[in-house]
Amino acid sequence: MLIYGLINSTVLALMALGFNLTFGISGVANFAYGAIYVIAGFLTWTLINHLHLPYFLSAFSTIILIGIFGALIYRYIITRIRGLIISEVIATFGISIVILEFLRYVGFIGFKYSLPPFIEGSVELMGAYVDIQRLIIIGFVIFLIIALYLFTHYTRIGRAFRGIAQEEHTSLSLGINPEWIASLSMGLGSSLGALAAIVILPLGTITVDGGYDVLINALSVCIVGGLGSTFGVIIASFIIGYAQTITATYLAAHWTMIVSLAAILLILVIKPSGLLGHQKELEERV
Amino acid sequence: MKRFIVFLFVVSALTFFTSSAMAQQYITLGVPTSLKLIEGYEGHKAAQLAVEEINAKGGVKVGTEKRLLKIEALDIRDGEPGVPVSEALLGIEKLILDKKIYAAVVGNFRSEALLAAMDIYSKYKVINIGTIAMTPKFQEKVLSDKEKYKYSFRNCLDSKYLAGYIQSMMRFINKEFGYNKVYIATQDVLWATATGSLMEKWFKENGWQVAGFDKYPVGATDFSAGLLKAKSAGVQVIMPVFDMPTSGILVKQWKSMKIPAFMAGFISPLMGSKAWKTFGKDIDGLMNVVFEIGYFPIKAHPPSVKFSEAYVKRWKEDIQSGHGAAPAYDTVYVLANAIEKAGTLDPDKVVKAIQETDMMGVVGRIKFDNGHQLIFGDNPKNAAVGAVMQWQNGKMAVVWPPSIASDKIVKPEWMK
Repeated sequence: MLIYGLINSTVLALMALGFNLTFGISGVANFAYGAIYVIAGFLTWTLINHLHLPYFLSAFSTIILIGIFGALIYRYIITRIRGLIISEVIATFGISIVILEFLRYVGFIGFKYSLPPFIEGSVELMGAYVDIQRLIIIGFVIFLIIALYLFTHYTRIGRAFRGIAQEEHTSLSLGINPEWIASLSMGLGSSLGALAAIVILPLGTITVDGGYDVLINALSVCIVGGLGSTFGVIIASFIIGYAQTITATYLAAHWTMIVSLAAILLILVIKPSGLLGHQKELEERV
Repeated sequence: MKRFIVFLFVVSALTFFTSSAMAQQYITLGVPTSLKLIEGYEGHKAAQLAVEEINAKGGVKVGTEKRLLKIEALDIRDGEPGVPVSEALLGIEKLILDKKIYAAVVGNFRSEALLAAMDIYSKYKVINIGTIAMTPKFQEKVLSDKEKYKYSFRNCLDSKYLAGYIQSMMRFINKEFGYNKVYIATQDVLWATATGSLMEKWFKENGWQVAGFDKYPVGATDFSAGLLKAKSAGVQVIMPVFDMPTSGILVKQWKSMKIPAFMAGFISPLMGSKAWKTFGKDIDGLMNVVFEIGYFPIKAHPPSVKFSEAYVKRWKEDIQSGHGAAPAYDTVYVLANAIEKAGTLDPDKVVKAIQETDMMGVVGRIKFDNGHQLIFGDNPKNAAVGAVMQWQNGKMAVVWPPSIASDKIVKPEWMK
């Protein structure tokens, strides 16, 4: 249970990192995130199976293309409604539905869509067999957290990201273009979603409906952890991940779907800004 | 000028009568189903194949004249999430009124849509032979008013027969290996949990120990908790009942976690050759209940070989679903034979001929019971047949029933 709880937690963290990054910097809750995750899976599958590109080239191309796609969504749709929170939510959710239903319409239905694991096989850990792909996910999450930390603290663009996240108007006075940085953050968030898809989807199959599940998981982790807080996302992933595993082990598997939703409800009642969220915290105190 | 007008009139009249005659010579069969879902997609193609074969021989003999068959398909989407039953019913009515279909084949996915559609078919006296929806309430409804619902037939497995086949498989495993400890894992949808509950009761009444019964939400991608529970309880058989695309993960985890138990039940996405292409050796050893034989060649039943080869030749792909395609093919022949026997297109007379059907089909011998349900058994010479197949090194090996079995059950390598 310990091992699989850990794996479940890291899967949730990986799903949520991209969503959280975009929100933390641009303030846009990207409800198209689940659809972007799914389209990344299908794109990689198509590149491998129809263009016969090597796996890692397909994966790399997908991450780049999806990043550009995300940035374009921001540049041509979100920019026009930026700051109007309800409009942003409606627009991104609308994009999500368009993407997912389009995929369904063109025939991405069924079980044949699957990505190959990086390494086949399983190993025994603490008496339980675990497939190597799941261990790779843990490695990826650790790598991503370190990489994101280094990126946001030691690169020019990364510091601009933080600047916009902290105080947009002051950043503007320092020559940072908030629209450009927000576009980049949406692109990077989408690329992270694509990366999550490429690492997680080899565990199963790519399905259109999976987009809605990914969105719910990412949202619940971000809301519980505190929107915009990477550390909060990690803590929330562990809380929800282990809660799901314990529920499946000691209660019943069908209750696991309620865990994320119950966690959202609970945190909204107790601390609406999330465990480590700073936004609205002052308002809460008032 | 006068001559020209007369010429025009003659040409128009000839065109009109010729096209009317052409239209009249076809008997139109409707295929109202979810065409994007695998059972609907393949059922449509199988029915089309049968129509083309019959037409190649000159068509169906109605009395003294031969009439060609034609298919009119409509995607009523009733198997897709969120589509209301009313939309499916509108589609069926559109086929009846606009396309003037004589009969409907393949039909509804969802049982509630099927039950509602029976009233429409009855209203317009349209013969319908379904090959997908599986509720036993179908027979109950036919028997509740035999005159009103006589136009409805089902030429595929129903959920009672499915439970019977799973029970036979478990009896067989118990007999061969002495196993009697089971863990049940089902998808959290009505038909699957109902099958699981039925089986749980049966296991308990037949001396089996049920170590757990978990229902997984649709879209679940991690089954490790249940599998670990099963392993620590020392179960010998895991009985899955799923039709969602992500259910293949259960089998992958069963293998990667080396759970020392048979995986034997029903996982719809792992029925056809593409499952092996998608999941490869991860599904080796899985035992799956085949709803109706015939979708892959079984040497012991030659019609299945003939049908499978014809399907691949016509559509350049093999059948992936263990449910619906072979019965859809048979259905067209059932209908054609009944029309020929009745010697007329009068639906009441054709219905009587269908009730008396006794023919060899791809799924085995085709006969209907009083509730217009196809009769199933364990020998294709006597009845339609379901089967148990096991993935053995990429081969779909039939391990039960003995009348058509080609191989013995093989334990997964980590159980040996």
